[in-house]
Amino acid sequence: MKQQAFETTSITQSIVAFAQFARSHGMNVGLLEAQDALLAADAGLLSSRTHFKSALKTIMCKSPEEARIFEKIFLLYWDTNPIDLQSRKSKTSILGMVEKKTNASLVMLGRGKPEAEETEAKNVSGANETERLKTTDLAKISEMDAAQLEDLSRKLFREMAIRMRRRMKESQKKGPVYLRRTIRKSIPFGGEPLELFRRSKKAKKQRLIVLLDVSGSMDKYSHYLLRFICALREQFRQLEAFIFSTSLLRVTRALQFSRIDLVLATIGSQAENWSGGTRIGACLQEFTDKYGKQLLNGSPTVLVLSDGLDTGQPEQVSKAMRSIHLRAKRIIWLNPLKGMKGYEPTARGMKAALPAIDEFRPAHNLKSLLELENILQDA
Amino acid sequence: MTVNTIENQEQIIETLDKMQYVVDEEFATSLFLLLKLRKPLLLEGPPGVGKTEAALALSQLLKTKLIRLQCYEGLDVNAALYEWNYQKQLLGIKLQEESGLTIEEKEKHIFGHDYLLKRPLLESITQEFQSPVLLIDELDRSDEEFEAFLLELLSAFQISIPEIGTIRAKHKPYVILTSNRTRELSDALKRRCLYHWIDYPGLDKEMLIVRKRLPSIEEKLLAQVVHVAQQFRQRKLAKTPGVSETIDWAESLMALGYRELNETAFSVSLGSILKSAEDISLIRAEGHGTFMT
Repeated sequence: MKQQAFETTSITQSIVAFAQFARSHGMNVGLLEAQDALLAADAGLLSSRTHFKSALKTIMCKSPEEARIFEKIFLLYWDTNPIDLQSRKSKTSILGMVEKKTNASLVMLGRGKPEAEETEAKNVSGANETERLKTTDLAKISEMDAAQLEDLSRKLFREMAIRMRRRMKESQKKGPVYLRRTIRKSIPFGGEPLELFRRSKKAKKQRLIVLLDVSGSMDKYSHYLLRFICALREQFRQLEAFIFSTSLLRVTRALQFSRIDLVLATIGSQAENWSGGTRIGACLQEFTDKYGKQLLNGSPTVLVLSDGLDTGQPEQVSKAMRSIHLRAKRIIWLNPLKGMKGYEPTARGMKAALPAIDEFRPAHNLKSLLELENILQDA
Repeated sequence: MTVNTIENQEQIIETLDKMQYVVDEEFATSLFLLLKLRKPLLLEGPPGVGKTEAALALSQLLKTKLIRLQCYEGLDVNAALYEWNYQKQLLGIKLQEESGLTIEEKEKHIFGHDYLLKRPLLESITQEFQSPVLLIDELDRSDEEFEAFLLELLSAFQISIPEIGTIRAKHKPYVILTSNRTRELSDALKRRCLYHWIDYPGLDKEMLIVRKRLPSIEEKLLAQVVHVAQQFRQRKLAKTPGVSETIDWAESLMALGYRELNETAFSVSLGSILKSAEDISLIRAEGHGTFMT
């Protein structure tokens, strides 16, 4: 692949090579765009550099983020002088999904500690294995059960997603007469509308925003919670997902392509940056500031998965929660600690968030997660 | 001006300028390519920067019809494409009762063109004389299903109606789509479009725009209003004012008879530029003085 314009021999070739160059830098540029670029050049836009640049920009960029990449690589591609090339060793690999900050590929998330803590057996010993696993605290899963639980959770979450979809269809009520079909079907009877067809209002697809705490204290749970979020994606097509601990990261796109592994790897690689304690307030604030206008439209349901152990200011948590509450249909907070006997939300962050929460539920085992199905269903 | 007489983007800039619409070189290039490559143009940007206005200006430039489809949640194919006129069909059936026609003939009659209500998308591809400009406004508000349907239309410019058959566009419309980015549009749709991001204009450009719209505005008031509006955008407001708000503000100040933005003028007219109670109290708390320097 040609890396710079000077390596090519004709203008056609350099335009096509530029399209490849753009693609290699994470832009979504294909044959179609390359073809359009050539057509644009043919339409007389080659006469000036600015015109040609604007033309390529409008053809190849599909978002402001891509436009920023474009600015960079346009210069890099067309303006590189072979003489300056000695010092060129720029590794500009842009991963379209999530930013990678370090190269470490350590995956934590409940897998960090091989020695299983089999302290007190709080496991409820039910009649069958599945039932037992369903009610076992996720943090107390032994290494042996882990693989089994992995399969089970995958299966149960998938079933849940299917169930939710199906129930949505059946619960539709009868609506007003649907003239379109009524008339169509009246033709065999000489235009007499013998059978009335009705049409119900289309069930509005609920929007869901998920904020998942992946800090150290949540370590054991976040692996399963992330899988749970992926299952929810089946039902809520407009699902936005974020993970946070000391900073906030949007993972919607990574989840879209079902690349949990990539998300996990990224979380793992950033683990060291993130071990400085959870800043729930600051992260929620960042969420409202940066994404609030874009995502908190049309009153979505907001789902927060966190243990509420915060190292920041509690006032910030309550302020951010209030502002989300104003624009969300409802806020559901899932706290794994709530599954413990005698748990009281006394952690400062949790206490501060509580007034703005509509539904406060445990999330310590599979069963508690599956119960959420009913709550989200009529959301 | 017709498409064939447009040879470069300077011409577009010039002509649009006469129509009170200010475009920069980049945007003009996008429009130029929209006309030459016949691809839809997707405009994104914050509210109030003139996305919708662009389609209007383009239709004036080409002296052609503007057909607008406003998207909303739950917009379905019936509201966007076509609908049979059911009441008229029922009457039609009754009227034909004694006519002795066969059922096939009756059916053919009530599913004829007379009974078809054209909605924007069908209308845009059935234009007889020249290509219209089709504006699909705030596409991000519609559902994904509709987006998928649109994909089909935008690639083939034909629509099949089961009762009539396929209708193919005689004159392909110039399509402009706008989005406020409340949700991300699908990659498939984006890839079929040219793209341009319209941002808030800089000081000079905004002054130019306001002057175009309000030619009788006094220079001092204009400079003050635009300067303050630009500063408002730097603040963290719930609703950042767009260019249209700036124009509204300047217009209301002129209507109130103010020749400059003094303290009273500032406080009585804030409601024309800021559209939320928190924002107004925030700006009031900062005071008139902080913005005038």
